[in-house]
Amino acid sequence: MSAAPTHNAPPAEAPRPTVAPPGLIERLRRIVGDENCLAREGELFAYECDGLTLDPHRPLAVLLPETTEEVARIVLACREAGVHFVPRGAGTGLSGGAHATPGSVLIECSRMNRILEVDEANRTAVVQPGVVNAELSTAIKHLGLFYAPDPSSQQACTIGGNVAENSGGPHTLKYGTTTNHILSLEVVLPDGTITRLGNRTGESPGPDLVGAFVGSEGTLGIVTEITVNLEPIPEAIETLLAIFDDVVAACRAVGRVIRSGVVPAAMEIVDKRTIEAVEASVYAAGLPTNAGAVLIVELDGSKVCMEGEIAAIREACEAEGCQTIQVAQNEEERLKFWRARKGAFGAMGRLAPDLYVHDAVVPRVKLPEILAKVGEICDRHRLKLANVFHAGDGNLHPNICFDRRDPDELERVIAAGEEILTACTEAGGVITGEHGVGVEKRDYMHLVFEPHDLEPMYRLRETFNPDGVCNPGKQIPTTRFCVESNPKARGYDEVPI
Amino acid sequence: MGAAIESLGPAVREERVSVPGGGVERVATPEDVEALGGLVAAASEDRAGLLFLGGRTRLHLANPAAPLVLGVSLAGLVGIDEFDPDEGVLHAGAGTPIQQIRETVAAEGWELPLDTPGTTSTVGGTVATAATGPRAHAFGTVKDALLGLEVVGADGVATKCGGRVVKNVTGYDLAKLYCGSFGTIAIVTGAWLRLRPTPPVLRSFEAEIANEAAAFEALRKLGERPSVRAVIWRAVADRCAGARVLVELGGSEAGVASDLAAYREVASFEGADGTAVDAERDRAIGSADEIEIRARVLGTNTYEFLSATLAVGLSVSAEPGQGLVRAHGALPSVETLLDLRETAVRLGGFAAFERLPNGWRPEVDVFGDVGGGGPIIQSLSRRFDPNGILNPGRFVARGPVGRGV
Repeated sequence: MSAAPTHNAPPAEAPRPTVAPPGLIERLRRIVGDENCLAREGELFAYECDGLTLDPHRPLAVLLPETTEEVARIVLACREAGVHFVPRGAGTGLSGGAHATPGSVLIECSRMNRILEVDEANRTAVVQPGVVNAELSTAIKHLGLFYAPDPSSQQACTIGGNVAENSGGPHTLKYGTTTNHILSLEVVLPDGTITRLGNRTGESPGPDLVGAFVGSEGTLGIVTEITVNLEPIPEAIETLLAIFDDVVAACRAVGRVIRSGVVPAAMEIVDKRTIEAVEASVYAAGLPTNAGAVLIVELDGSKVCMEGEIAAIREACEAEGCQTIQVAQNEEERLKFWRARKGAFGAMGRLAPDLYVHDAVVPRVKLPEILAKVGEICDRHRLKLANVFHAGDGNLHPNICFDRRDPDELERVIAAGEEILTACTEAGGVITGEHGVGVEKRDYMHLVFEPHDLEPMYRLRETFNPDGVCNPGKQIPTTRFCVESNPKARGYDEVPI
Repeated sequence: MGAAIESLGPAVREERVSVPGGGVERVATPEDVEALGGLVAAASEDRAGLLFLGGRTRLHLANPAAPLVLGVSLAGLVGIDEFDPDEGVLHAGAGTPIQQIRETVAAEGWELPLDTPGTTSTVGGTVATAATGPRAHAFGTVKDALLGLEVVGADGVATKCGGRVVKNVTGYDLAKLYCGSFGTIAIVTGAWLRLRPTPPVLRSFEAEIANEAAAFEALRKLGERPSVRAVIWRAVADRCAGARVLVELGGSEAGVASDLAAYREVASFEGADGTAVDAERDRAIGSADEIEIRARVLGTNTYEFLSATLAVGLSVSAEPGQGLVRAHGALPSVETLLDLRETAVRLGGFAAFERLPNGWRPEVDVFGDVGGGGPIIQSLSRRFDPNGILNPGRFVARGPVGRGV
């Protein structure tokens, strides 16, 4: 019989100061300058939360360092004052990974926003963490190169934030997530040490510390420099838009494409409610509002391969009864198709004051049944549901439209969300594919993992962050499943109106 | 064996297994994960070093072991537990031969993106050593094929990480940590693997080409073509005027033809046997030569490192698109070997000595300097294996050795 676990979750933390200890703010101002230290009440309001508007907390201060050395000095100052610190990129994350914890300081890396080096021949770039995702691809386009990870927020999110969250995006299907594109990192460890992990080949002797660091949600340290690999812009790109009577048929078509052997760059589905929202918004793409779902398929590669691959996609979609299938005739039309997908979240703002963007993954073959289940859950809770998702990866984004000023509806949103996650895990899936665990799903980790599965995660965190000063309370439960039976502990009772 | 292990009465057989720095005289083969966990927990109590055994193809690739008490074969954890041909994912026990998986999935139109050398490697050994071959050009590394892992830790507790889906950020990515850690952080007992559709057309080509930087660079750039799966540049020290280049292409008929045409602008590529890449891979990795080096450098520096190895009399099998050079043969002195490592570091990478004479081992760390990660790795070891029982001494960060490079 296997031995019992010998390692315990960290003990409950001692109370933290909720006001800045004497002298700390002054010391921080001396490190970054007055203009880069926000500590007045009015300056802090915008930093209460990231893209997850639930469970907000106002930090003691927000620091905007410009160099690695400044980050290290901030960390040391916080340590000496006994204050926790939380790294933050653009604050576009959707799981609360960049939420301040009570009595903590935010270290916002958006002013470390320089592209330090582009090595065209080796297809690599060295960037600071505050470089905006889309701006890197724009800056290197003339070299025939692009940076592949493309989260929907790529116009605003930063590469440092992408590293923390291991961000994905529609093109994950072919190109992988952020972790597949990071070669090495310079990091400030929670003890203030500046160190480099990995090298520019992407492989180095020893355990893959870069791989462990990517996706650690800022709990292992603060990334201050990132070496990424770049991809050649494909010779040809073709984007197809297939219209279906219902979302289940669209999912089945995705399964057929996968089995055909064609590997598209992306396969995305937008459901009826989302189509209606998009068409009523500035993102309108001319989609038929009577359609049950649209499937966007993007192919890239050699020109000579496109004709055959388009034929394979047509065959798969027609076999599942698609109404029509269009191939974008030019770049303008291609971007219009994508606008329908990437603008979906913005367009859904028309449906209700609040939007809860869920993120879960199931085996692709389970998509039709899980979508039916998600619909049933939301109907039962009398909630408006819109689906837009990375179908090729089995990555769902059930979006629940609601009004948080209605406490009853808020409770139903939370209850439905938990049922959706439970259904996805029962189907063999997981609770997050690209948004991260953060504070949002930390207490749902038990749906995927047994308590003993978390022990190695605690060991990893303690290796880098032994006293828990860096972004505490994120990603893994602080004390084991302490809030499993207490949803209020997640902070939803503190939602401001 | 220690008291705790003895009290389990594990079924062991007398068998001598030699590894650098020592070996074991007895080997246990736990029949399931629970038995393995019990054995490991007992060894931890006894502070008894264990040597874990997969397909035994890479036992030579290690630093000298600390004292070992027992060998533990994972051959009992064998079998493909689940294969979903619609999803393109598979779960197998650590002891499952890679070749068995290749054959199983091929029948359903999939291929396993693990280009492990030889035919006897196992899933567990491949994951533990992160062993790749030239098709890493298209497949990526072992980590890229891993969806989830089950492991047994040094405390004997079985845990899992990741899952069976192709996109997952639920918790820390521990699979990245376990893969390539040579069984020193935890012991892999099973893996969820992502498959790739088998290309409709698969062809190999070869050409004789001048061993010159310009030609090498041309091939390095051609490696970006979509259908390229593997490129091997083979040069021999005593015939350094020429190189033999082997290319494997896969994709649609039109795609392969288009990319072949591009290669034929560089050299006269002719059709090669379909097993040519496998044969060259197995010849270059696991050679019987005294010295075997695997080095990664920046892509644009690959030819410089290749030339440095040829200059000291080694033969080379390089992968232009990967910045990877495998060199093998014999060297006159340990100083020459360490000079090559310094060259690899200067060119932006590292050099691991996969084979070297036993007499040189006290002066040479097989894996090389881990740089800024050293203190972190040592801290990881203390937390994951506090009693030092998992393949002790065999992996990185053993401390300064010889010239310390």
